[in-house]
Amino acid sequence: MILTQKAISRRTVLRGVGASLALPLLDGMVPAFAALRTTAANPIRRLGVVYVPNGMMMPHWTPTSEGTGFSFPKILQPLEPFRPYIQVLSGMHGVESEGPHARASTRFLTGVPSKPDDGSDLRGGVSMDQLAGRVHGRETQLASLELALDGRDFAGSCDDGFSCAYTNTIAWANEFTPLPMENNPRVVFERLFGDSGSTDPSVRQARLAKDASLLDSVTERAADLSRELGPHDQAKLGQYLDAVRDIERRIQMAEAQSDRELPVVEQPAGIPGSVGEHAALMFDLMALAYETDLTRVVTFMMGREITGRTYAEIGVPDAHHPISHHQRDPEKLEKLTKINQYHVQLFSAFVERLANTNDGDGSLLDHSMLVYGAGMGDSNAHASTNLPILLAGGATGSGGRHVQYSKETPLANLHLSLLDKMGVPVDQLGHSTGRLPIEPLSGV
Amino acid sequence: MLRVPRRLRVPAFLVGSVVVMWGHVLPVNAQTADATEAQLLTSTIGRYCASCHNDRLRTADLSFDGVDLSQVGEHAELWEGVVSKLRTRAMPPVGRPRPPADTYDALAGWLEAEIDRVAVRAPDPGRTHAIHRLNRAEYANAVKDLLALDVDVDALLPADDFDEYGFDNNADVLTVSSALMDRYLSAARKIGRLALGETPPAPVTETYKVPILMVQDDRMGDDLPFGSRGGIGSRHYFPVDGEYDVQIRLHRNYVNYVRGMGSRHELEVRLDGVLVGTFGFGGDEPDGVQAPASYGGNQFGDPEWEEYMLFADANMRVRFPATAGLHVVGVSFVRRFTEPEGVLQPRQSVFAVAVNEMRDGNAAVEHVVVGGPYVSEGPGDTASRRAIFTCEADGDGGETEEACARAILKSLARRAYRRPVDERDLATLMDFYRSGRQDGSFDAGIQLALERVLISPDFLFRVVRDPADVPPETAYALDDIELASRLSFFLWSSGPDEELLRVAEQGRLHDPVVLEREARRMLADPKTTQLVQNFVGQWLYLRNLRSVVPDAITFPDFDENLRDAFRQETELFVDSLVREDRSVLDLLGADYTFVNERLAAHYGIPNVYGSHFRRVQLDAAQAERRGGIFGHGSLLTVTSYPNRTSPVLRGKWMLTNILGTPPPPPPADVPDLPERGEDGRAATVRARLERHRESPACSVCHAPMDPLGLALENYDAVGQWRLTGEAGLPIDASGQLPDGTAFLGPTGLRSLLMERREQFVGTLTEKLLAYALGRGPEYYDRPTIRAIAREADSNNYRWSSIIVGIVKSTPFRMRRSES
Repeated sequence: MILTQKAISRRTVLRGVGASLALPLLDGMVPAFAALRTTAANPIRRLGVVYVPNGMMMPHWTPTSEGTGFSFPKILQPLEPFRPYIQVLSGMHGVESEGPHARASTRFLTGVPSKPDDGSDLRGGVSMDQLAGRVHGRETQLASLELALDGRDFAGSCDDGFSCAYTNTIAWANEFTPLPMENNPRVVFERLFGDSGSTDPSVRQARLAKDASLLDSVTERAADLSRELGPHDQAKLGQYLDAVRDIERRIQMAEAQSDRELPVVEQPAGIPGSVGEHAALMFDLMALAYETDLTRVVTFMMGREITGRTYAEIGVPDAHHPISHHQRDPEKLEKLTKINQYHVQLFSAFVERLANTNDGDGSLLDHSMLVYGAGMGDSNAHASTNLPILLAGGATGSGGRHVQYSKETPLANLHLSLLDKMGVPVDQLGHSTGRLPIEPLSGV
Repeated sequence: MLRVPRRLRVPAFLVGSVVVMWGHVLPVNAQTADATEAQLLTSTIGRYCASCHNDRLRTADLSFDGVDLSQVGEHAELWEGVVSKLRTRAMPPVGRPRPPADTYDALAGWLEAEIDRVAVRAPDPGRTHAIHRLNRAEYANAVKDLLALDVDVDALLPADDFDEYGFDNNADVLTVSSALMDRYLSAARKIGRLALGETPPAPVTETYKVPILMVQDDRMGDDLPFGSRGGIGSRHYFPVDGEYDVQIRLHRNYVNYVRGMGSRHELEVRLDGVLVGTFGFGGDEPDGVQAPASYGGNQFGDPEWEEYMLFADANMRVRFPATAGLHVVGVSFVRRFTEPEGVLQPRQSVFAVAVNEMRDGNAAVEHVVVGGPYVSEGPGDTASRRAIFTCEADGDGGETEEACARAILKSLARRAYRRPVDERDLATLMDFYRSGRQDGSFDAGIQLALERVLISPDFLFRVVRDPADVPPETAYALDDIELASRLSFFLWSSGPDEELLRVAEQGRLHDPVVLEREARRMLADPKTTQLVQNFVGQWLYLRNLRSVVPDAITFPDFDENLRDAFRQETELFVDSLVREDRSVLDLLGADYTFVNERLAAHYGIPNVYGSHFRRVQLDAAQAERRGGIFGHGSLLTVTSYPNRTSPVLRGKWMLTNILGTPPPPPPADVPDLPERGEDGRAATVRARLERHRESPACSVCHAPMDPLGLALENYDAVGQWRLTGEAGLPIDASGQLPDGTAFLGPTGLRSLLMERREQFVGTLTEKLLAYALGRGPEYYDRPTIRAIAREADSNNYRWSSIIVGIVKSTPFRMRRSES
């Protein structure tokens, strides 16, 4: 919610809008604000989850040998420069349910199956990022950020018998509330840095005070309304109240942190035309959110499940979903591999940026814990087994290793261990059966 | 879309009593279980069904052993599933002994009559959510009706998720998160500023882009003058009276040279059609060395020439005064009516457009930036301010001013909350008014109170409450105020207007005569365009058109003009059906459609010139290809892959949205669809699908699905008519359904669907009912749907007969109390 004293005028900020996509301009911000970092001894940990849709071309994902010194398969090659930070975790599975695509995204961070809509409520479970956000959000203005590349405005191409809500998100605030993921960089920007239209601190303070009183007043009204309804009917109002309280909390946080210097950042104009530019811009915003410590928890869906996005820019003019039903056709296999690799390539640019950003005694990458993967294994089989998962970042505690887990290992077990590392111990997440040993490695 | 229940079970809910019932809304084939008839049916079930569905095998977890046909209505969920299988001839499976056709219909008809008989005695209206959030379109319409303000809602709010039936107004799926609340807060602030005409703290800019594949060779729409070419007409909201500017950027090629510099162009800027600036450029190349056409971009011309090519649009900026409110900013070229000399070149697309180094041809606009206000002369007199200020404040801060504020806020709140306001509502708003007034002006006070209105649960949610005295699980009638909102959101995707609200406040709306009169009055209002856009846009997947990307190599002719034309054709067509109250069957086949020159060329319809859409009468041959939605490029494109047609996608769409019998999802690991024919030679999709269907596991679903899609194989993936398909093999558009019905091409498909019109009308009614209620269809809605379809039958299936039928139906007027 804050632009800074270094502020250039609104006109200047908007000067280049639309003229070009402001990718490198986001880099142009950077005043020195290392000062607000916590001490080197106790670095802030960040959690990031990057999800790719429609499964994976597994033969080109899984390293052929276990342990250290594995060679990077085709899809993972862009990440090779960051070998010490990478752990490939093979063999884990997701909980089975109906809806091969709905379950893939739903269970990814929740460990809970997707539920066919038989006329009753949407039903999922709280996701691990939200559990982390609840705790880390006490210290940041935003508890979490949910990002996507796809919009939500299309019909008839979600999983049969399931609301599109299941395939459009991996983040769930609770059992009943799937969280929308934002695909417009400009909106993400406004969520991070505000839309007040003024950089004058006193104007902004007055605005925050007004917002606080507005929210206070609707809370009262919603509580009144709630009393007129039966217990089941109150759920939706509960969502509304939670949302209002969350913003109230953020306003308090923004007021408390109002002396903090934040970067002057060029506002992105909108959604870029190509996947590459769009993804890069979202990754930039993600990095920026970490850097400014506006949030420590980000989830990013590089495609909704069943996405039919085409990738003409890498020579794949075909829609992703039908290609992923490859039926072992060599041409489709090759195209699917290209898409899978392209996603990793875009992700690796983000990893590189984190590696090059100072953070306390190390880099942002040192203090981040990134999960990259898909909600199904082999695309053609819509497999719930052998999910493609990798960890990147120093904060995973180890690196440069390929670990094969037994096929009884639920993916949710990994989340318990990751939450431990985020300092948010949880005993159970969906169908988890225990913690996953993530072995430490020397050299990191 | 009804599922077969997995086991024979007593429905969880049986209506105990009916609190309110009037009229005979549901005409019923009242029929009692005739003993001999029941016996015949029992034996039919025993003979054809119970060989698999018995206590021993329990196929699909279902047993008919000891079936009791005297209790059909009490087990409606199960029997509706059976009816659905019978009506679609889905059971017994192909290859097993089947009863004769008339036995199918007799059994299904008898079961339906039994279910309907019980339903009319004890109807179950279902239970909609108590809290129903406005979706994005509804929010925009509500703001427009409240404040006479057109907002760019796509920029203000995120899109909403679709439910499993494809609608984005399902109360269950419309959740609230803090990210969304954030947007509501921000939207309220922005809307408040615009509505009151607050001067922005600094000038702001808005960019209007023209996509690169939008060919600018013709007049670009009705907002631009006759005799113009290219450019864009943008509806821009000017926040205050004051000075603004428009800046134009032209299309360039990959080395940044402005396109079309070889000849002279005149570019005009107009505000609501009045000329405010003209720019001329091109056709004036300086002598000297020019950069060669190299496709490399690494050799430069003389500096003077480079400047000429690069900076033609550097000063294309014009400043002008404008009054506050919505105006059309038109930027377009003066059209030259000349024919180019030489060999006619094919139109360039994609890569060719981007690298074009030719300097003749048309210049084009890349984007237009409207900025301002640079000078503000106050809020002016806008439609919004006239809608808000029902009285005038004297500005002294005294009692009259307070009274005026009260009057304004009372009127705003009543319309925004869609109900009478009480003293508490008003007291809250007056607090915010006073707070805003204290720091600023009267306007600032109203503005802050308006923000409070726009984030209130009373505005953002439609609320229905169980009456205090109704026992649990009992059907009761909605109160008039709740019914008014249900009606207006169904027909207009917005809140009630003054008349509807007044009728509801007077407690007269539940009177069936009044309700029907209101529904018909509202249907005649232009606001029903929202029903067409929102319901039809989702039912026909029209909204997906925005995001389809046909492969540029396979379909070089596909451009943004065509994409836009596809959408307009279908919208205009369906709008005409509803507005003229024609039969819904006209969707399947009609003797007219709407085209402009671009679309007519695509369809091969001669003698249509210009970019304006007009209604064209189709002759018999044209009607076979383009009459009805199956001939619309929009539908044919959104049910295709980027580079080829998919009979499976088209067939599935047809089963789901026209016949109401969606196929089950495919198994996880489908066997290979062979890429080539049996003998290893190239094969058509048809031939390959035929081989696929040889596998019984595949044929169950594909046998009813593929033929429907294959009948449309003469339309390619962007809806153009063709005679040969893949590998240059001729198209065979014949098909045969599992029950032996054979048909050929779109014409055959059309007559097939006309024969099954009851199924189609039932499906449409079911979809429309789900949309009207904002919940998924349930088995207990079936009697209502059948009754509406029957009524509509005697009325030539007019749109109004179905829409009014829904409005008068039990699930629309009533609700079941909480259990």
